[in-house]
Amino acid sequence: MLSSLIPLQLPSRMQTHLWYILPNEVNNKSLLKHYTQLLSQHEKDSISGMQSDELNKKNALLARTLVRTTLARYHTNNNDNTVVDPRALKFKKNLYGKPEVDWEVDDTTTNHPKLQFNISHTDSLIACGVTLNAPVGIDVEDKTRKMRHDVLSLAKRFYSSEEVKFLSSVEDTESQRKEFIKLWTLKEAYVKALGKGFSASPFNTFSIIRSDAETYNLCDQAGEWKFRLLELAASSHYAAICIEGEDGQEAMNVIVHKTIPFVEDELISI
Amino acid sequence: MASLSATSLSFKAPSIQSTRISQVLRKPSSFQSISFGRFQSSKSLRLQISCAAKPETVQKVSDIVKEQLALSADTPLTAESKFSALGADSLDTVEIVMALEEKFNISVEETDAQNITTIQEAADLIEDLVQKKPAA
Repeated sequence: MLSSLIPLQLPSRMQTHLWYILPNEVNNKSLLKHYTQLLSQHEKDSISGMQSDELNKKNALLARTLVRTTLARYHTNNNDNTVVDPRALKFKKNLYGKPEVDWEVDDTTTNHPKLQFNISHTDSLIACGVTLNAPVGIDVEDKTRKMRHDVLSLAKRFYSSEEVKFLSSVEDTESQRKEFIKLWTLKEAYVKALGKGFSASPFNTFSIIRSDAETYNLCDQAGEWKFRLLELAASSHYAAICIEGEDGQEAMNVIVHKTIPFVEDELISI
Repeated sequence: MASLSATSLSFKAPSIQSTRISQVLRKPSSFQSISFGRFQSSKSLRLQISCAAKPETVQKVSDIVKEQLALSADTPLTAESKFSALGADSLDTVEIVMALEEKFNISVEETDAQNITTIQEAADLIEDLVQKKPAA
């Protein structure tokens, strides 16, 4: 018998809650069947229509499950403080195709804080970032990912000149590859947080610079975009988070959990 | 109609690229063999909308995609195959664009790069850009 979903406390204003699933850990057939039952008809059709192998379909299922169950846990029914039904959540896309929750404003039976979310996944990790009232973008990447092209050639073609300068200064090829991927996740996270599609902010039109070991910033930025770069799952993945802060705000705070919906949460110290 | 020159044609048809039409009106000597056959300037203009990229271009694009995504040689790939359905993420797509630029010696605009989602779209864009290049 599966446990019911446990309610969650909302993120604070400058906080991102990051939830991730490792697909390799989720293989129980009846659990996966339970997850399928949480999806909308559209989501189910979309997954069964995928021209992909079973692993990709499973990951698509886990991604939708992660989004629905996680967001549901931040919403409780007013009468008994139980978590709302994940099936009840509706989604829509903004003008540029970025997915967001579609709130039914006249529903008074549940509380609905203005949560924002963004997902990203690789073959082996699916992540969902959640914020309160702050546009958020996340991107995850396998740390060992090898590019087919020379890293500097890719950077010269797609990144900004400041970023190329930085990458060129990294002497070791392996470190250069890692820095390229870190920058990739940070740049993706920013564009996804902006939510206007990739054509609105081509990668060579903005620079993300590292100011010290842990801090990344947007050069010449309009607005207060905050970045965090983390390593997840036994350092197998880089995860970049970008949120739009408020003037004068401190750095972003991140709380990370590994989760298997309805089974367990594990708080990850970062 | 007989006095209409290719260079003055600039209208945009809703569902086809305008350059496709300008190809039709080019003089036969610079005309690429597109599926609807040779065009002779003395004959009346017959526009065919199904002017897809050459099969060789589609094949070359497929080969590049297969290589980038490490797909096995016998993976069923059609012109309509979507990169995302084949397992490509945004970094893969960017590498595919770069490989296509190298292979065909073209330059893809950022906005065009974002709009390539299938093999057919990539092939069509390539032929568009190759055809637009100034004569050597």
